[in-house]
Amino acid sequence: MPSTNADAAVEATDLRKAYGSEVALDGVSLSIPSGTVYGFLGPNGAGKTTTMRILTGLSQPTSGSVRICGLDVSDRGKLAPHVGYLPETPPLYDEFSAREQLDYVADLRDIPSETAEARIDDLLDTFGLVGDANKRIGTYSKGMKQKTAFIQSVLHDPDVLFLDEPTSGLDPRAARQIRTSIGDVADSGATVFLSTHILPVVEAVADEVGVLFDGRVVAEGTPDEVKSRAQTGGEGSLEDAFLAVTSDEPQLSGATDE
Amino acid sequence: MSLRRDVRHGLRIGRAEFVRSIRGYTSETRRVVGLLLLLLFFGSSLLFSLPAVYVAGRSAQSVTEIPLFGLVATAVPAVLTLLATFRTLERIGRVEHESLVLTTVHPRAVVIGLITAEIARIALWFGLPIAVVAATFTAGLGAPSLLLTTTVVVVPLACCTTVWGYAAGVAVLRGFKRLPGVRRVLKVVGFVAMAAFVLVSQAFGRLLGDGSLPVDTLAATLTFGPLTDYLALAFVGTPLARPFSAAAVATFAAIVALTPLGLVVATRQASALWFTDRAPGGDRGSAASAKADGSAGGFSTPKPLAGTNGGNVAWGLLVRGVRHPQQFTHLVMLVFFLGPLGTTIVQSSADGLGPILAASGAGLGTYLAGATFGLNPVGDDRPQFPMLLLTATAPRTLVRGRVLAGVLLGAPVAAALPLVTVALGTSPLSAVGFALVGVCMCLAAAAFSVGIGAAYPIYEEREFWGATTVVPSTLVLMAFMFVVGPGTVIGLVATWFGVTGHLAPTPLLAAGVGLYLLVTVGVSYGSYRYAIRRYRTYTFD
Repeated sequence: MPSTNADAAVEATDLRKAYGSEVALDGVSLSIPSGTVYGFLGPNGAGKTTTMRILTGLSQPTSGSVRICGLDVSDRGKLAPHVGYLPETPPLYDEFSAREQLDYVADLRDIPSETAEARIDDLLDTFGLVGDANKRIGTYSKGMKQKTAFIQSVLHDPDVLFLDEPTSGLDPRAARQIRTSIGDVADSGATVFLSTHILPVVEAVADEVGVLFDGRVVAEGTPDEVKSRAQTGGEGSLEDAFLAVTSDEPQLSGATDE
Repeated sequence: MSLRRDVRHGLRIGRAEFVRSIRGYTSETRRVVGLLLLLLFFGSSLLFSLPAVYVAGRSAQSVTEIPLFGLVATAVPAVLTLLATFRTLERIGRVEHESLVLTTVHPRAVVIGLITAEIARIALWFGLPIAVVAATFTAGLGAPSLLLTTTVVVVPLACCTTVWGYAAGVAVLRGFKRLPGVRRVLKVVGFVAMAAFVLVSQAFGRLLGDGSLPVDTLAATLTFGPLTDYLALAFVGTPLARPFSAAAVATFAAIVALTPLGLVVATRQASALWFTDRAPGGDRGSAASAKADGSAGGFSTPKPLAGTNGGNVAWGLLVRGVRHPQQFTHLVMLVFFLGPLGTTIVQSSADGLGPILAASGAGLGTYLAGATFGLNPVGDDRPQFPMLLLTATAPRTLVRGRVLAGVLLGAPVAAALPLVTVALGTSPLSAVGFALVGVCMCLAAAAFSVGIGAAYPIYEEREFWGATTVVPSTLVLMAFMFVVGPGTVIGLVATWFGVTGHLAPTPLLAAGVGLYLLVTVGVSYGSYRYAIRRYRTYTFD
């Protein structure tokens, strides 16, 4: 179990979440330093989305506690300026254009209009959406929606950015754009909590990796550490490590319960 | 976060939600056409009623002369609260994309936003026509200040009732969340209650019309004095003004005090609803639900359906229907057509009750046969088209299976209900006649429905009576009822005259029956063939 760190951007202690008799999370603890890109891996149904909802204050754990940037997540008023969240389904309104959507979110984030306008223009330009910014989102492709939603989640320069499958279903160019932007966000000092199944993305951008299996963190560390702990051999990939640590047979030489 | 900031955020959310609603209303041509038809229907009614309103304004001498003012003043807050409660249950209990909104602003801002948008929508749908009527009445009265005072009186009341209606609706949703079984039961109860309400309202209207009901006594009993006094404040500064009463002022003070209190209650309820457990789609639900959602064994079609692919398709539709009955919520539209039937049943003598119920049973079976599976075949099947259209099964088999599923559902109803009414005095010959005609009409209705349904497919899921599902177009449903309804009635009435010996076999009668059969069979078969053609030529454009 990671030690408690007062300077950690994300500090989760012994999270447990149960739906009736079904346990979704069983003693998950995380301590993620500021400026880290944390790759959060796990098979379908492992509890990743549940974890992200708890870390963003959208759901309450059955037991355990979460602090983001030192703030208790139950204090949503104080938490909101510090976090950005991009769920798997982009939270966009089809009836708005991208510019309207981003203006709307900027208003709700209390970003001064001049600042918001400049930032929106800049981000739209970065993601190649300027030409389509006034079209209704309902007419957008999946990639355009995902890019708009990504811009929306970083518009207020959050300290911690939660991304749930941000590159899923995107073409290579759009995926690379998002991947590059994740690096840019981290370079600016923010922490990125990245949940994805696309392991090459994690290998490319993550400083640390946590693997969730059956509601528990079964491996954690740098990608290289996870590979070596999973006893995949020196030449093994993160995919090999992922398969090893998420099988039912114990193969770890070291994990979070060490 | 401060209250002022939450109010600002709430108003911004309300504006955004309202704009989205307006854009949603006008996003498709068919919706615009539907709105224009509504405007034409209700607008013309309103227009024709305005002269009477103007005359009423000119001739009014006191508030007490306004018919049933006290009763209406009492009913308005109750109706507004109920409306807000139902709207909350159906639509505004949650904000769309809550993961975005709830990580951005305080839940209180979201509640304010949702309620603001709802008040704006209510003002658009009901406020505009009410404003037109009020303006006309004001013109007749010659007191322009009435418009202003009415606004000052009605707006606080509307805000208070909407806030409390919202709080009540969210509380009910929380209850449903804890006890999902209750929700399912209440849906059935709600449907039955709605049907009963339509039928009873018919009887009530008749009793009101013929003066059997002691309206004055009823009004005196149900009227809540303080509310009447409060709404009478709208007439301050006009010739209809009443003296100020302490009750009116106290009611106003209570409304003003209850609104923020309601907002606090609504925010607490909503926060509890939005932030407490709900097994997310991507994670595992409860073991119990997982067990309920499973099924052992493969797909085995029972005999005699098992012999053909059409039978397999029909059985598949029936099985899916049983497992996901929410897809049939559009069938509740039948309730709104029960009014005239209710009047007939209420007014019928004991001798006529059996045959009327027998005919109604045949009609119900016909409705189910066509409307259950047939009104949106292309929309229902489109997600599976990449598989269905690339199998060896011909499109006609897919369409035939859908027709067969409708008949399998409707025919037993059309046959059984008339036969059951023998116990209520229907002659066996009439019952058998109705049953036979009902079964034949089921086939015709099912074949007809797939054609008009295929002509105007709906692909998008939408919220309809508390279920999110792909619902057939309302226009298609209306067209189906306006064609099949009269067609069925003609057939049943002819049968009734035939079995009771009122029809003499004449060449004219034979020609009439022949024409009826020709049109019924021809239209149904043509519609069926059209549906097959749509399936055969379907492309994902």
